[in-house]
Amino acid sequence: MDYLATKYLKTKKIPSTACSGCGLGQVHKKVLLAIDELGLATGDIVWGTGIGCSGRQTFNTWQGDNFAGTHGRVYAIATGLRLALPPEKKIVLTVGDGDAFGIGLLHLLHSVRRNVDMTVVVADNFGYQSTGGQYGYTTPSGSVTDSSPYGMQDPNWVQDGRDILDILRAAGAGFLARHTSVEGQNAVESIKKAIQFKGFSLVHIAYPCITNFAGKALGSRKPVVAYRWLKERTNPAPDQAIDGITFRTGIYHQATAGRPEFSEQMRNFTAAVRKEGQHETNGNIG
Amino acid sequence: MKRIFETGNAAITEAAIFAGCKVFAGYPITPATEIAENMSRRLPQVDGYYVQAEDELSAMHICIGASLGGLKAMTSTSGPGYILFADPYGWALGSEIPVVVVNAQRVGPVSGITGAPGQGEFYLSRYPTHGGNFESIVLAPNSVQEAFALTVEAFYLAERFRMPVTVLADQIVTDGWETLLIPETPAEIEAMGLRVQPRRINYGPEFYPATDEIDVPPVVLGHNTGAACSDWTPTAEGFDTEEIEWQHKHAHRLIYKVRNHKELITRYEEIDTADNPEVILVAYGSPSRVLKSAVKAAREQGLKVGGIRLVSIWPFPDEAFGRSAKYLSVELNYDGQLVREVQRAAPKDSDIHFLGRCGELPKVAELVAAARDLINGQPLASIKWQREAW
Repeated sequence: MDYLATKYLKTKKIPSTACSGCGLGQVHKKVLLAIDELGLATGDIVWGTGIGCSGRQTFNTWQGDNFAGTHGRVYAIATGLRLALPPEKKIVLTVGDGDAFGIGLLHLLHSVRRNVDMTVVVADNFGYQSTGGQYGYTTPSGSVTDSSPYGMQDPNWVQDGRDILDILRAAGAGFLARHTSVEGQNAVESIKKAIQFKGFSLVHIAYPCITNFAGKALGSRKPVVAYRWLKERTNPAPDQAIDGITFRTGIYHQATAGRPEFSEQMRNFTAAVRKEGQHETNGNIG
Repeated sequence: MKRIFETGNAAITEAAIFAGCKVFAGYPITPATEIAENMSRRLPQVDGYYVQAEDELSAMHICIGASLGGLKAMTSTSGPGYILFADPYGWALGSEIPVVVVNAQRVGPVSGITGAPGQGEFYLSRYPTHGGNFESIVLAPNSVQEAFALTVEAFYLAERFRMPVTVLADQIVTDGWETLLIPETPAEIEAMGLRVQPRRINYGPEFYPATDEIDVPPVVLGHNTGAACSDWTPTAEGFDTEEIEWQHKHAHRLIYKVRNHKELITRYEEIDTADNPEVILVAYGSPSRVLKSAVKAAREQGLKVGGIRLVSIWPFPDEAFGRSAKYLSVELNYDGQLVREVQRAAPKDSDIHFLGRCGELPKVAELVAAARDLINGQPLASIKWQREAW
């Protein structure tokens, strides 16, 4: 990972233990590029991760401060941490699709509702790959996986009129973007905007799993097959006939008027209560 | 000294604030809800934050996050919520992050009876998370005043041992109204034996020493020390590893930092035990108050009865049970939980019995009668699951 690795990553965690050909490195590099282009230093960011492929591979790679939560709970940890950290300190979380859109969806939604200042990068490899390749919440409809040997029957969050980003937007998310790992600078620009956004922001990035998803659902463990598959589904032209899932990428939503940020609101509220003279109020404070 | 008439819930709230708690995150549940309500009123007055979480998993994780950022934090719940702490408890335990957990025990199993006292989480409080390879610290108050003192102590122990500490109360203690004295001067604080440990910061690079050492500052994020902590087995620097050798060091530390400093934790009260009584009543929490009256009443009737009241529960104070005697464990459950530990700890020639009630306290006369029966060699069982030779 060239100069970015030297500048931002712990050498003990290089090389990554990711499978050969894994697209997670592309996602990780985009986040580091965004941080670098924003001129941020290691002390500016506390980095959190979940478990699974994206959590395990990105945990404690950051030279600054790190934490990893159990599957799906990292948003709640980040909510508490936000209260304790100075407002200018940024929280970046790299999590998987199962973490964000499955087991952690409740906590994610409530972080959105509260507008907790954090940037969630969902590194989406289309299912549970570190446990051997079971289907998840973004697995393309009908895919053959280790837990859907006849093709996935369970509706996902990203097809047939459903979009998880719609739900997050409805819950109040101020910045939402979607990309694939085969994209370049436009994905970096979205991550930069997400990190700069004061409030909850999320960037959903699809990347190929070679070992499990490609091996089962695409029928080949050749990286070229998986990357071609992802590339031709990334913003296909209208005249391209692509079956199944496709990815419309870019900024999905950027709020024009900012909602109050959680920790700022809490600090203001506490200050107002103290100013009132330490007695209960009628709730009109803040 | 401030003297007020208040509940155990209020005592726990004031104690947390006294100890420097700045964040409370909780989820409403009877009978612990009042702690949350009290915290929502009190914390903003002292520059603290109250967060009503979406569930117990979130509540304790928010507390962990706040503690990771350097703020002391507490959560509270009752039985059905306590089991949901299993996930975050493990995280705080493994990452060695201080946090205080209050459980106002009610009648179980599951939702049971919401507004009546129980003691069903004795063992759950010993193993409140998965995976084993750890010791837990649990304190059990039996009055409003003691709820105050032990909550302050829980914060103190959490900081020194850098781990979650549970205050295992019950509904009578948390909902009961009694006089509460809150110290205001250093002399009063000292007289009450209250200890407060400020938060320190681990500047690393060592995440933990692979020894039983305590007073190791916890990881606090945001100081750009390159600190790391996670739910995975850590190396000394906090890197995640799959190596058994590191897991062994980590487990050794989690177990022996508690076991080898047990004297800082263990508290119990012996009542009339100097003359080696024939029967020793054993209890913790609110039943222990009936026990005290029962010992007094039995002595007045010429029965050689004593009592042991446990204040700290885990690590279990085996040393309190060195005497051979007929022990009667008095508990707010029907299955007998404390009695099993008494049986394990007491000398082999002891005779171990159990008297269980749930949802209400046993009566003094009932305990005296049971003690008399034991002294006379009479069987206890009137209703099999209530009184049973163990």
